Amino acid sequence: MEYPRTVSGLTESLRQGGYLADRGLATALLVSLSLHRPVLLEGEVGVGKTEVAKVLAAMFGRRLIRLQCYEGIDTNQALYEWDYARQMLQIRALSERQAADEQAVDRLFGPKFLLERPLLEAVRAGDQAVLLIDEIDRADDEFEAFLLEVLSDFQISVPEIGTIRADSPPAVVLTSNRTRELHDALRRRCLYHWIGYPAAEREVEIVLLREPGAAEQLTRKVVSAVHKLRQLDLTKPPGVAETIDWVRTLEFLGETELTPQSAQDTLGAVIKDRDDLDLVRENLAEITSGA
Amino acid sequence: MPERTAFAAVMVDFAHALRAAGLAVGTGDVLTYCSAMAPLDPTDLVDLYWAGQTTLVSRRDDIPAYDLVFRKFFLDAAGPAAELLMLKATAAAEAEAALVMPATEPGAQAEEEQPLLGWMASDVDALKHRSFASCTPAELAALRKIMARIRLMPPRRRTRRTRTGPSGRVPDLRKVFRNSMRVHGEPTELLFRERKVRLRPLILILDISGSMADYSRHLLQFAYSAKQAAAKVEVFCFGTRLTRITRALEHRRLDVALEQAAQAVVDWDGGTRIGGCLDSFVRRWGRGGLCRGGVVVICSDGLDRGDPQVLAEAMERLARLSHRVVWLNPHKGNNPDFRPSTLGMMVAAPHIDLLLSGHDLASLEQLAEMLPVLN
Repeated sequence: MEYPRTVSGLTESLRQGGYLADRGLATALLVSLSLHRPVLLEGEVGVGKTEVAKVLAAMFGRRLIRLQCYEGIDTNQALYEWDYARQMLQIRALSERQAADEQAVDRLFGPKFLLERPLLEAVRAGDQAVLLIDEIDRADDEFEAFLLEVLSDFQISVPEIGTIRADSPPAVVLTSNRTRELHDALRRRCLYHWIGYPAAEREVEIVLLREPGAAEQLTRKVVSAVHKLRQLDLTKPPGVAETIDWVRTLEFLGETELTPQSAQDTLGAVIKDRDDLDLVRENLAEITSGA
Repeated sequence: MPERTAFAAVMVDFAHALRAAGLAVGTGDVLTYCSAMAPLDPTDLVDLYWAGQTTLVSRRDDIPAYDLVFRKFFLDAAGPAAELLMLKATAAAEAEAALVMPATEPGAQAEEEQPLLGWMASDVDALKHRSFASCTPAELAALRKIMARIRLMPPRRRTRRTRTGPSGRVPDLRKVFRNSMRVHGEPTELLFRERKVRLRPLILILDISGSMADYSRHLLQFAYSAKQAAAKVEVFCFGTRLTRITRALEHRRLDVALEQAAQAVVDWDGGTRIGGCLDSFVRRWGRGGLCRGGVVVICSDGLDRGDPQVLAEAMERLARLSHRVVWLNPHKGNNPDFRPSTLGMMVAAPHIDLLLSGHDLASLEQLAEMLPVLN
């Protein structure tokens, strides 16, 4: 399926996929899709950065290829690797006469022994894929430098095979939690968008979209409570994901009201830090008091 | 066609205005901006705003500056784009209502002049033990030269990244296989993946309040030379509020770097809120992982006007987040039996791994010596 050519069209498609994008995000995505540029999404934890790529892939019938970054990730894990063990077995299995045959050696470095990793997979798939490079800030700077090459040309050279090029590049979404500053060179190659916390009204919409069974009144109360929590000086303020989790938890327990008692019981869904818990418990009555 | 050219000219002017405001906007970015407008509606200010933000801005901190320039450029009646927009159907007022931009507070700018010092040859040893507080400008210049020579080397740690080596646990099949190609596929030597080592990040948090006035500028120079020496150095300043000056110190020339840093900081020689500032450091930066596994060096005399409870909690958290916490207290001087007397120091003491003085060059050298072995 082709992606829409207008901002409103894209927003509508995303909404059908269960994602509410604001004007800025939709614009950034549309521009990224039209110009074939990667888009770098930064924002607080749990505001739906990763979700964007998933919904994009699901809505437009593309394959989601995810590269989860972590410290020490290298080209073997991101690009490709030869299946050395199988190659060795193959060599052992060849008789002397067979091994002299040139084609036998060629086959050793053929597709059968090539393990494709996400980046190569994405370049091969071209515009049939959405490449999600998740939490790029967790990888070390060496890896970032290597990514530059792939992201600007969408081509990968495997010495034994040759250069593999994407005719039409995949859609690329990078996410970062800002645990470290990304290099300017990488930023330059990407479009940039900052996803902040949504306004209360919008957050209610998001929760209801993700959790259609939820009662609206309860959702409103929870959202207003979460907004109050974000006002508090918390170490880890709850994101939208936590709001959804909280509503889900309350629904599961069959609660219809957000009372100090029910909030106290389910606080673990939103607050994930001991010091924060102490602070919140002190102010629980005020937080759950409603609008 | 002429309209398109006029449009491109406006975009270019806008980019110039952004550059003038300090954003790094390259020609390539302007090209991207122009092509980004192709699928969008160039007469719609909201589209202009968002397309510009996504193509011309590449970090969150620049967004307020972008907003300010955009407002001036496109929404101001006397702005350069007003004439062009007059031709268009979209009324500026209407668009302004649709555009929700965060209000930008004009950053208070405290000008701080770096004294221009002449060159002077001097007795190095005599200078080394003189407190910075009592130096003449000429001596300071010489000090600065020496200080530039101190090389800070943070401790190392093993990373998850590997390289080929003769020993290790996991065999490096790729390398073995490659090597065996030279001898007709017979593996000759077994090689392994070895874990690499790399420097831990170094985080300097400098007190530049009134009570530290005699030392703060030199600590800044020290931070500068540290920044130049090791790759992963983050520098923060605090008095009553915390300022990150890492980027300001990146400039190659000492004078320009210090000038930039001095302009970034707004609370020179003011009061001190160590607790509050460390707390905001932990919340804003530490929590994100900036000091995780790193060595945090705090330079302060511990004279805190804030709540000691806040300081204690912040220090505890900081100690948990980072690898080691070093505190430089100039009041310690060369006294080995120094006992912290200020309330702030007493509260922070349990969480400090190493207490040094940092009041003169010799003590900074001592820090440079101690750093690599802080494991």
